Amino acid sequence: MNAPKSDLPQGTLDLLVLQVVAHGPIHGYAIAQRIQQISRDVLQVQQGSLYPALHRMENRGLLAATWKASETGREAKFYRLTPKGRAHLKEETANWARLSEAIRLILRTAEGGAL
Amino acid sequence: VNWWQRLVRKHQLERQADEELRGHLERLVSDHMAAGMSEGEARREARLEFGGLEQMKEACRDAGGLGWIDDVTQDVRYSVRTLRATPIVTAVAVLSLALGIGANTAIFSLINSLELRALPVKDPTRLALITDGATGNRFWSYAVWDQVRQRPQLFNGAVAWSFTRFNLASGGETQFVDGLWASGSFFDTLGVLALLGRNFSDADDRRGARPVTVISYSFWQRRFGGAGDAIGRTLALDNVPFTIIGVTPQDFFGADVGRTFDVVVPIGDEPLVRGRETWLDRRIFSWLTIMARLKPGQMLDAATSGLRGAQSQIREATLPENLPQQALHRYLREGFTLLPAAGNSRLRRQYERPLLTVMVVVALVLLIACANIANVLLTRAIARRHELSMRLALGASRWRLVRQLLTESAVLAGTGAAFGLLIASWGSRLLVRQLSTQTNTVFLDLSIDWRVLAFAIGVTVGTALLFGTIPALRASGVAPMNALKAHGRGTAGDARVALASGLVVAQLALSVVLVVAAGLLVRTLVSLETRDLGFQPDRVLLVDVDAQHATEDPVQRIPLYERTREVVRALPGVAEAAVSLTTPLSGLALGNRIEVSAGTPLPEAQRVTSENVVSPGWFRTFGTPIITGRDFTEHDGRDTPPVAIVNQAFARRFLNGASPLGHTVKIVLPPTLGPPAEIVGLAADAVYGSLRDPVPPTMYRPLAQQYEGSPAFTLPNASLSVRSNSGSPLRLIRSVSTAINAVHSGLALTFLPLADQVNASLIPERVVAILSGFFGALALLLAGLGLYGITAYAVSRRRTDIGIRMALGAERATVVRLVLSRVSVLVGLGVTVGAGLSWWASQFVASLLYGVEARDPLMLVGVAGILAAVGAFAGWLPAWRASRIDPAVVLRCE
Repeated sequence: MNAPKSDLPQGTLDLLVLQVVAHGPIHGYAIAQRIQQISRDVLQVQQGSLYPALHRMENRGLLAATWKASETGREAKFYRLTPKGRAHLKEETANWARLSEAIRLILRTAEGGAL
Repeated sequence: VNWWQRLVRKHQLERQADEELRGHLERLVSDHMAAGMSEGEARREARLEFGGLEQMKEACRDAGGLGWIDDVTQDVRYSVRTLRATPIVTAVAVLSLALGIGANTAIFSLINSLELRALPVKDPTRLALITDGATGNRFWSYAVWDQVRQRPQLFNGAVAWSFTRFNLASGGETQFVDGLWASGSFFDTLGVLALLGRNFSDADDRRGARPVTVISYSFWQRRFGGAGDAIGRTLALDNVPFTIIGVTPQDFFGADVGRTFDVVVPIGDEPLVRGRETWLDRRIFSWLTIMARLKPGQMLDAATSGLRGAQSQIREATLPENLPQQALHRYLREGFTLLPAAGNSRLRRQYERPLLTVMVVVALVLLIACANIANVLLTRAIARRHELSMRLALGASRWRLVRQLLTESAVLAGTGAAFGLLIASWGSRLLVRQLSTQTNTVFLDLSIDWRVLAFAIGVTVGTALLFGTIPALRASGVAPMNALKAHGRGTAGDARVALASGLVVAQLALSVVLVVAAGLLVRTLVSLETRDLGFQPDRVLLVDVDAQHATEDPVQRIPLYERTREVVRALPGVAEAAVSLTTPLSGLALGNRIEVSAGTPLPEAQRVTSENVVSPGWFRTFGTPIITGRDFTEHDGRDTPPVAIVNQAFARRFLNGASPLGHTVKIVLPPTLGPPAEIVGLAADAVYGSLRDPVPPTMYRPLAQQYEGSPAFTLPNASLSVRSNSGSPLRLIRSVSTAINAVHSGLALTFLPLADQVNASLIPERVVAILSGFFGALALLLAGLGLYGITAYAVSRRRTDIGIRMALGAERATVVRLVLSRVSVLVGLGVTVGAGLSWWASQFVASLLYGVEARDPLMLVGVAGILAAVGAFAGWLPAWRASRIDPAVVLRCE
């Protein structure tokens, strides 16, 4: 837990959330946990920004939500992906891949130039 | 979940969000406790990680798209609270807005249904009226309609109709319904389906067909209570039994804006009603309106030239009988012209100008009301400066404050508009009712359509921005620093006082314009009402005697009229009675082209005279003096030489003012048999067809000396005028009715006091005068309120100043003078600007005026006097208050 953590780059929280939700209905707390697990505690998800993001995406129709009993027996709000959300995820993932590839290339060229 | 559900299920959604976030927090706590923390530590840690619950709920609300709704609800609630804190000011503002918006919407909805609304038929823009290009004539004989009907290749269908009235009563006093003669193609071509039963078609529109009628929705409701078995029942119209075959839809009022019908009857049934005098064979009668439906893609011009191609054939086949050579030539030459059917109604021609004038008037009133409210908001903003700067200091953005203040304006305007719409729908109906007379029902479809709604919304938003923007921007321009200073003093408000004073001057100027206009229009009405009529209407009862069904033979009718006159003259309480073919201001005008022996040579167009055919006693009944010569007597008949009486205008035009006695008059047109008539009397000038026109040359001829071709043989009715000995002529109705019934029970009677007929001819003038008078007064009141408000405010700001002056020995009178001089500067400016404006605007009302100059200097002086009085009234109370300021109190406060 003491490893240095990076802040989440702008706009990527939505993408991560969609990716997590894509695996099946899941509630907010679990989403936060999963994001941190997947990113091996490297990324710090500002818990304050998670819920506004969830509500925004629900409002945009990317996510749908239902209330049902969770593993602890409490009622919790479970989010799942809508078809629209799935399309959005696909598109954003492709974008992200393109962008990170471009950045990797730039970094490599820069290193090469320094040598 | 859309935004509407969000609004409705707002509380549920908020509770769920709360639960969701709390759930998260609880898990965080229990996870921390599982990791070994105490509960207190775990809660602290969780809160640190998670952040503020309330902020996050707020953020979720914004993200969920509910934020703006909350803001607006909050703003509206706050506005309502603020406005309710000053109930009187708010009530005055809402009331003046309601009147302003209501009046504007009412007048607009009249203009809308008169000029913009489409006819209630299929594809109304493809309809065109057939007219004479040059003369503007739009009525045609049945022969012309027959010719058009036989040329189906010209148009995509054509229809003809004419308005009439049918009597439902079989005798005695009449019971009229509005009727329509219509061609068999009427419903099919207009695309109107029957609501119940069927509409008639070409098969029903034949002479000798079974008489059928289609009734309107409102008549069906009125007469049959909407009963389904009305179809198949018989309805006696002018004593002829018609079978009801259908009911038209509720929104169909015919093809003429401004009128409506109760029953429609095929033109082919006309001979059943008019008998031998049917107009179907008379080419000299132009009575049908003909409307054509253009073919798809056909332009108006192309259709006109198509019709002109058949011009000479149609004209030659329909030459009116007995026309002199010259008139025939003109008839043949006149070119057919098609005009768009929309916006070509008679009512529009009559009321367009008055309506536009009133529209401008009410728009100005609304502007004045806006200025008033802007001033109220300005002064209120100054009073709230402390509050506003406090909110700025606490971090509110300026935009947020502007939004709050604009919401207040919107709430005011919205409330005003809600009441305004009520006023509009009530007012416009009231107005249309005022336009109807006993003989002419005015009907306008006033249901609210998208145009009226858009107009009302536009006006509301416009007024809110107009009176709200400047105060809001001004008020939010306070510096946060002011919150920290002591408030309420200093000269910071002076710029606002200047702005408010400017608004008051504008108000005063506009109200000058409105009061001048109202004065001109009211004086026009008064000049017309007090005009010397040349007859005395007060004790005269007009009885329209319709002999259509009493006797088939027109020659028999004249003796019948004379008998009714004899029995009515013998009744107690009757001073005199006389028969005539028309009466002054009845709307029926008779005229002749004549030649006067040894008369002034005149161009043909001027050799025309108005005419009335009267029995002896007519001049005594109407109180029109015979100046020289003699009245008609019982001895003037078919076997004595024809005689005539003319009026002074006649003598002026045809004989250069010389005595007409001994000259003879020959009637050239309409073609009449019978020798020239000798002029035996000169009557005083009397109003004939219109109160606005100068008295026309008029010729009177005896009823007993009528020949073939005279209108006496074509009109099925005549007017019996009865002068009472004293008191209201209405008291004679019963005895007159009984007496005439005894002469012949088939005579149909309609009663109307002559005074009512005179008044009915002034309806447009009266309506415009009343409206402009009312709104002129309202404008004055609003301007007075504005002046009072700004003066009272100025006094309250200068309390200290005035108190110090008084402490230094200023007299109370000096203080009053000080305040009033300020008021008089404002009034003076307002009157000057307003006078200039009215001088310029007077050109637009000139055509509505009668008996008064559009730029009457006396009028301006009078209005300046009124404004001075209003100013004195509005300034007196603040001035008196100022003079009561106690210097000791003011100085202690400092």
